[in-house]
Amino acid sequence: MKDACQRYLEDPEANPGHLAECEQCRALFDTLGLSVEERAVSVGALPLAPWEGAAHRPWPLVAGGALLLFVVAIAVCFWAGVPPLRVVQSSLTTMQNARGFVSFAATALREASLVVQVGFGLLFIAVNTALVLLLRRAPRGIDA
Amino acid sequence: MRRLVLLLAIVAALIVTASIASPPKFNGSLDIRHVEVSLPGALAMLQRTAVILSLLFVWLIAAVVVTLMSAREIRYSSVELRASALHCFALGLAAITSFVLTAILFSYFPSVVGVPLLIALAVFAIVAKIYGAIAVFHALGTMIAGARSRDALDRRRWLRGDLAMVVVGVLILGALRLIPVVGTIVWALASIFGVGTALATKFGRREPWFLAWRPAES
Repeated sequence: MKDACQRYLEDPEANPGHLAECEQCRALFDTLGLSVEERAVSVGALPLAPWEGAAHRPWPLVAGGALLLFVVAIAVCFWAGVPPLRVVQSSLTTMQNARGFVSFAATALREASLVVQVGFGLLFIAVNTALVLLLRRAPRGIDA
Repeated sequence: MRRLVLLLAIVAALIVTASIASPPKFNGSLDIRHVEVSLPGALAMLQRTAVILSLLFVWLIAAVVVTLMSAREIRYSSVELRASALHCFALGLAAITSFVLTAILFSYFPSVVGVPLLIALAVFAIVAKIYGAIAVFHALGTMIAGARSRDALDRRRWLRGDLAMVVVGVLILGALRLIPVVGTIVWALASIFGVGTALATKFGRREPWFLAWRPAES
């Protein structure tokens, strides 16, 4: 093996023209069944990967966004006369409403006829079967 | 056929969401000159806006904390949401329906068995909702403010990275949330997409939910 071949095998991107010139290397790649493009890969032309630049942490933007929301929320709360406790209360009320709806539905189901109860059971099985079938599909985000 | 079913499911979901979110006293007229705005009504709307803004601030803090703790998982879920949005929506719709039906079933059981199961289900649903919403913030931020090329990415100082995308997403979705009726529908749709992408990627871990059975090789 020549030095040029060695250099190409060690770093193909740094020696892009070698494969076009060297019959021996082409034969080697053909034997191994590897498809090799003769032109060099242009990294700049490749689409942007999701992880590129993802670790960057722009704290001024985060602090600015948080401060903006905080100031606006405090100002509107003060203007509307809403105490901070009301916000917590609002979230709890939503949870209580959901709980009330579920309890009401369960009571209604208990008092319903057998046909309705069986219908509910069938609906439960159908929805959860659909859920399981949808969950079985492998995520394809990165490969898409 | 499958696409048709999914599209019909989306239309049905939109109708259901709109009918839940629409004002109960809507008289069928679309002429806004006939809408009466009283002082208590305006005050109630202002108070509602104040509560929404306060909750948005809490959402922003939660989104920043979760993104700092598991940025890669959030990014995976965001990529999945953008790559197969329809699947995430169908999955979210099925999952939320399943949560409701399962909660009713658990409430149907005697309290000793039902209440612990109900609490476990509620915790799971809340975690899926919060994680999914943050993935939706990331996806929305990336779609609107994400860099399209490497050069554009290099030129940016602030508007790059997972944190920036999440913050942009919270601010955009938060602004939409403030619009009456539309905001509620948009937020509900974001919840459906969010729960769907959280479950589709197993909270960003990209592992299968179910093990495939395969006979042992001798």
